[in-house]
Amino acid sequence: MKTIAFTLNGHKTEVDVPDNELLIETLRERLGLLGTKPGCLEGECGACTVLFNGKNILSCLKLTADADGATIMTIEGVAENGALSGLQQSFIDQGAVQCGYCTPGMILASKALLDEKPRPTDEEIVRGLDGNLCRCTGYIKIIEAVRAAAFKKGP
Amino acid sequence: MNRETRKTTSPVGKAVPRIDARPKVTGEALYVYDMRLPGMLVGKMLRSPHAHAKILQIDTSKAERLPGVKAVVSASDTAKIKFGSNEYFFPYTVDQLPLEDEKVRYIGDEIGAVAAVDEATAEKALSLIDVRYEVLPAVFDPVQAMKPGAPAIHTSMNNIGVMLPVQYGDVEGALKDSDYVHEDVFYLPSAAHCSLEPHVSVGQYGIAEERITLWTSTQAPFKVREALAKTLRMEQADIRVIKLNVGGGFGGKLEMLPMDFSACLLSKKAGGLPVKIACTRQEEFSFTRRKHPMIYKLKSGVKKDGTLMAITGEVIADGGAYCSYGPTLIAASIMRIFMVYKIRNFRVFGFRVYTNTPICGAIRGFGGVQSGFAVESHMDMLARGIGMDPIEFRLKNATDPDTVTVNKLVLSTNGLKECIRRGAEVSRWKEKYGRGKQSDADVVRGIGIGIAADVMGSKMYKAHESAGTIIKVEEDGSVYVFTGAADIGQGSDTALAQIAAQELGVAYERIRIKAADTETTPFDTGSFASRVTFISGNATKNAAGDVKRQILEVVAREKKLDKEDLDIRDEEVVQRGDNAAVMSFDKAVELCYSFDYGHLLIGRGNYNPKTTPIDFRTGEGNISGSYGFEAQIAEVEVDKKTGRVKVLKVTDVHDIGYPINPQSVHGQIEGSILMGVGYTFHEDLRLTEGRVLNPNFSKYRIPRSTDKVDIASIFVETKDPQGPFGAKGMGEASLLPTAAALANAIHDAVGVQIKELPITPEKILAALKARQKE
Repeated sequence: MKTIAFTLNGHKTEVDVPDNELLIETLRERLGLLGTKPGCLEGECGACTVLFNGKNILSCLKLTADADGATIMTIEGVAENGALSGLQQSFIDQGAVQCGYCTPGMILASKALLDEKPRPTDEEIVRGLDGNLCRCTGYIKIIEAVRAAAFKKGP
Repeated sequence: MNRETRKTTSPVGKAVPRIDARPKVTGEALYVYDMRLPGMLVGKMLRSPHAHAKILQIDTSKAERLPGVKAVVSASDTAKIKFGSNEYFFPYTVDQLPLEDEKVRYIGDEIGAVAAVDEATAEKALSLIDVRYEVLPAVFDPVQAMKPGAPAIHTSMNNIGVMLPVQYGDVEGALKDSDYVHEDVFYLPSAAHCSLEPHVSVGQYGIAEERITLWTSTQAPFKVREALAKTLRMEQADIRVIKLNVGGGFGGKLEMLPMDFSACLLSKKAGGLPVKIACTRQEEFSFTRRKHPMIYKLKSGVKKDGTLMAITGEVIADGGAYCSYGPTLIAASIMRIFMVYKIRNFRVFGFRVYTNTPICGAIRGFGGVQSGFAVESHMDMLARGIGMDPIEFRLKNATDPDTVTVNKLVLSTNGLKECIRRGAEVSRWKEKYGRGKQSDADVVRGIGIGIAADVMGSKMYKAHESAGTIIKVEEDGSVYVFTGAADIGQGSDTALAQIAAQELGVAYERIRIKAADTETTPFDTGSFASRVTFISGNATKNAAGDVKRQILEVVAREKKLDKEDLDIRDEEVVQRGDNAAVMSFDKAVELCYSFDYGHLLIGRGNYNPKTTPIDFRTGEGNISGSYGFEAQIAEVEVDKKTGRVKVLKVTDVHDIGYPINPQSVHGQIEGSILMGVGYTFHEDLRLTEGRVLNPNFSKYRIPRSTDKVDIASIFVETKDPQGPFGAKGMGEASLLPTAAALANAIHDAVGVQIKELPITPEKILAALKARQKE
């Protein structure tokens, strides 16, 4: 067991975890953050995407032991002061949500992309979401949602 | 966009935000995979490592003694009652035990289950169960399985689970009278649903009440309840099945699985502690349900003027180890053609064959993806045989509105020909078709068409296909819709909320949907056959109409008006003629609940589509209350040097009746088409000796964002009088013609017709090479 300290959704967090515990397990089982979805637990579907020091990573491939000192954001941390972020609202407005199981990961992957490239090209959006599988939408409305969020005139 | 103040009145036809979108973007939406209950145990299934074997002995004693193990079950703990999915029409195909007893028939066949305090203990317990097998010869190929002397998997002759002879008219005579006869064989591989949320169940037995609650990721809660009651030998009243958010289904979550059964049984044995069984992704690919691989032989004749004279053929479907939905699926696969083409002379024999492979069942399109590829590729070849444009050929033979087909389907509203015409127009077919073959360039373009039709509901599970809805309007004017319909991501809850709001005359934002729970919501057969908007939508419309009538009766009495002259529109009770306001909806509700009236507002609605009984053996009868139609035109670019295909555009023109939520409808179409693109080019669930070779997303590749295609989605609005506000169902049809439209486009580009999916660069290069040799 090791004590690991990180900033999770803006809050200082400390957990005692075995060396082999995966970040998705810590988030879901210890911390009750169920928005991080297990889809394959093999690093292939993207449903468990979280932001780790601002980059999108797969929490099923990350050991919690390696998260000491990190800044982590899950889908629960995306809304600001209880209000949806522009990206979340855009997913709703563009009809980018169907079954919703890929949605948290999609939104976090999109957030990582927009944080790095606030005005991405379509090609950059498509490549930015390449690690996140969706079986429902055909991706068209997800890409539209990211584009709309990026190019929306101020609030 | 302030949520509290937004009021969308008359929401039908508008792209209102999905009712479940907010919790899904915040991560609050709960799925069964997220369920946790005090004392919850981890359950695991014990599966056969052999494709075919006798079970000589199962010894669970070592596993039971392992600390942390709370329950172990095998067939000896069960009533040994078989279940199947087509019991009503094909009782002889009820062939699967929840836990097999004497024999295993595929690698993965369930024979036991354990529940333990954690996953590692459960895994260890599985390894401690001692099973002795006598391995039997196995058969993996349906053609081999049908031969005399092949290993017998069940008791049916030649391993044929179901044989369907669908015959009409004088086929031999019509073929003789034809000017051109063409014969083809098409090969369709297996495929996986790949719902992002794997199958998962949480079962809990209540000892005091002797009742079971099962939370399961399902498309059909009431069907699961029925199968559980039967196999557990309990009353349906003592079983409660609850659906939460479902992370995709696509037909894969339409049945009770042994894991559902086992979660309940384990909980009973574990003293009522809840048991959660979740499929790993590998289990999901290997042991749940998969698409029927098919061999589709077609031989048809046409006149020089394009008249389709006769279609004959044979379909061999590899069904795997148990029948599942196979019987109705092969019927649907063969009979779909009657919705699409005017054909009087027809003879196709269907065989659904047992093999020692994982079970094939329902998957989006229900046999129509396989037949869609075969039939629509075949039609192009017939058209070419007589030198006719594929569009003209289809217009010549497509079904018409207000007609009855040879097998008694009643096609009332039918926009098929309009779909074809508009598709040709929008895609500028005339300018593009036939250009590729004239080009000497390495990279050439082609255009191709496929057409399709689909039911909206099908009585394949019960004698009736009713759905019910209850609506309560509370004192404060809030509206709760209770439906047994299962939204699995397609957006049906949203459509039902829109329908309820429209009919009741209130804002969409007032509606709250409660679904689905077999104990608190009305019966509904489930999400399949593109039925929910059409059938559950009508039930919801009727319930909203019922509660509206109650409100208007009270207002009429109070105001001494004729209730027939009143209506509710945009949150106001109004006089029908001049739309004069009588009182607000809120005031009207207040009045109902007032001292004078005390009228509690509860509306109920039911809908059973107008159909006639179907004889699945012959295909005769009117299976659906209405039919949807569509034409799809694909444009591709093919590189003759590499065999690579780039999809440039897919134009989809769809008779959807009327779109309750246009954004949702486009979303269904776009998702279907990309699923079709995946099946066309790379999806192929491969097996060797009954074992799935590619049970993960790196080896079984589903379309990614980089594979997305440009789609022009266009509606033809036929406003079906049977549909709620004219709507038809449309969740599956757009997947049916995609593979053929693409294959036909490839032919238009480079002159080779690929008859075996997936269409890989290797197959195109091989076909190009073979053509050069000719």
